[in-house]
Amino acid sequence: MLNTILFVDDDPITLMLCKKVISKAAFSDQIITAQNGEEAINLFHNLLDDSEKTVPELIFLDLNMPIMGGWDFLEEFSKPTFKQFHNIKVIVLSSTIDPEDLEKIKEFPMVMDFLPKPISLSMLNKVAEALI
Amino acid sequence: MKNKSTQIALIYLLIALFAAIIFHKMSVSYSNVFDLQEYNFIKDIFLISLTAGALKFILTKNDKRNSSYLSELQKTNEEIKESNDRYDIVAKATSDIIRDWNIQSDKLQWSLGIETIFGYNKSQIGDSSAWWFDNIHAEDSILMSIKLYSFLEEKTDKWQDEYRFKCADGTYKYVLDKGFIIKDKFGKPIRMIGAIQDITNQKEEEIRLRLLETVILQTKDSIIITEANFNGDQLPKIVYVNPAFSLMTGYQAFEIIGQSPDIFKGSKTNPKAIAEMISSIRNQQENIIEMICYKRNGDEFWLRFTMIPIFNNEQQLSHWISIQKDVTEIKKQEREKEQLITELTKKNTDLKQFSYITSHNLRAPLSNLTGLLNLVEDIKIDDEELQDILNGLSTSTHLLNDTINDLTKIMVIKETPNIAKEEVSIAQVFEKVCTQTNVLLNTIDHNLITDFKKETDFKINKSYIESIFTNLLTNSIKYKSANTQLIIEISASLVNQSTMIIFKDNGIGIDLDRNKDKVFGLYQKFHNYPDSKGLGLYLVKSQVEGMGGTITIESEVNAGTKFVMKFPHN
Repeated sequence: MLNTILFVDDDPITLMLCKKVISKAAFSDQIITAQNGEEAINLFHNLLDDSEKTVPELIFLDLNMPIMGGWDFLEEFSKPTFKQFHNIKVIVLSSTIDPEDLEKIKEFPMVMDFLPKPISLSMLNKVAEALI
Repeated sequence: MKNKSTQIALIYLLIALFAAIIFHKMSVSYSNVFDLQEYNFIKDIFLISLTAGALKFILTKNDKRNSSYLSELQKTNEEIKESNDRYDIVAKATSDIIRDWNIQSDKLQWSLGIETIFGYNKSQIGDSSAWWFDNIHAEDSILMSIKLYSFLEEKTDKWQDEYRFKCADGTYKYVLDKGFIIKDKFGKPIRMIGAIQDITNQKEEEIRLRLLETVILQTKDSIIITEANFNGDQLPKIVYVNPAFSLMTGYQAFEIIGQSPDIFKGSKTNPKAIAEMISSIRNQQENIIEMICYKRNGDEFWLRFTMIPIFNNEQQLSHWISIQKDVTEIKKQEREKEQLITELTKKNTDLKQFSYITSHNLRAPLSNLTGLLNLVEDIKIDDEELQDILNGLSTSTHLLNDTINDLTKIMVIKETPNIAKEEVSIAQVFEKVCTQTNVLLNTIDHNLITDFKKETDFKINKSYIESIFTNLLTNSIKYKSANTQLIIEISASLVNQSTMIIFKDNGIGIDLDRNKDKVFGLYQKFHNYPDSKGLGLYLVKSQVEGMGGTITIESEVNAGTKFVMKFPHN
């Protein structure tokens, strides 16, 4: 079981659903959420300032979000400022079918997988296996 | 000769004198008349001498005349011999065939050429004019005869004609026949000497050149021939234009020959094209150039022309040939086509983007709905009505989800021409599909017969082949015959460097007579089945073709359906 995971998604129902599935799967102790890329970046900025706070071990990232989308978040997060967090794995969780999106994932080594919504127990089990 | 006449006269004289003496002696011995005996003897001698002299004179005169005739005859003979020798030498020296025709006796003689050129042997050659005429080509014979006989009737001496003459092997050669007439003192033709020349090569060349000329004259493409070198600072001078050129530009040959093609340039002519043309002339290189040119009336048009350098036997540039086409309409169409392609590409991109967004926006809430319903499944609900509503909601949601997933798959297949392929075990893929379909499969009485040959494994897209098997298998289950065990036979084998997969069931089948063209179409349903979306076979076909394969169907109502898929390995 992971300590903390971060969900970045603008849809409250998705967030609610994910929380329920994750707790059901006993996948993680703590779930923190961000409604878009910018909120997630701010969150990591805060983590840079406060070493006491728990750093998430895994990020579930949506692509289509207002203010700052998933790709922009990954661009920003890949910068040297956040170098200390670059060991965190990212799973893109999206309903996209655009082949360009699927191709773009390869540009970011921190992205370990792409999963289609909705998240399910079986998916989480596979992710857990991959992380071990 | 003179001596001979004298000898004859002397012999005559001696014999006559001898006879006169004998007669005189006898008359002296036996006659009594003495008075006249001396007189008669003298008279006889005188007469004998006189006739001997006359005889000698006549003989001498004859001799003279005969001698003159003889020398004349000898001279004539020598002349004839010389003439015959000359004829033989000429006949041997010339490549022509000499023909000597005695018109009155209709005897015809041929020189050796008739054998060497036409291949006849002596026994085949006829000695009358009939043989000559019989061997003239049927198409030429009548006209030639008419011309020949009208010539014979005329008062001229010389005649010539061209016709085809048959060779011994049955082929024909073109000949030029020149004849000369010999007439008697009344002007009647008695003999005709002819010289026949084999002009087959010239004739064939003439025909070939005439054909080539016809091409130049008849072609719809304009043709210009120019000199080799620049005309001062202008392009090389035009020496020939064909009729198509005049038709295209409005310039007649007489007004354009001697001019430089610079005359066709104008304000819109691309200087780069001119520079390219000049460079080609300098480098003596062939080229194809397009540029805007101007007609005689000032109208502009797009000209596409090739320029070809022509070299003489000494490998020196002698001329330029330019074959030209008015491509104004083609250019216009090209521009329109390009514009259309640009517009269509943009529209297609917009549509693609729209479909991605629509798909995403549909899938996002739908995935939530699916997730939420999955959660509800674990909650115990006592209210039966609510349970029914939730069940209906769940069924509809899953159907909607499947439909959108299928549509998405189709969209992705059409958008991905080069799909990823990997070495796949067909048996394993089918096993996996069976496991996934187990719940559905176990609800019915069935018998699955598989026969996968090992060597049929090949590089293929795993998710596509999984999807194909899932679709075909669920179709077989959905459309099984009632009250009959469902038998599915599936096999894979190697045929002509292709993997052939046969999927066969004994279900209710499809009426192909009615639906042959629609069976793999989009939104085509052939049975009233609640879950049917009319997408399955369209998706199967798209995926098979997406992997470079083909699919065919055989089906009969209430007998079953058979799909044959072939995937070439290269």
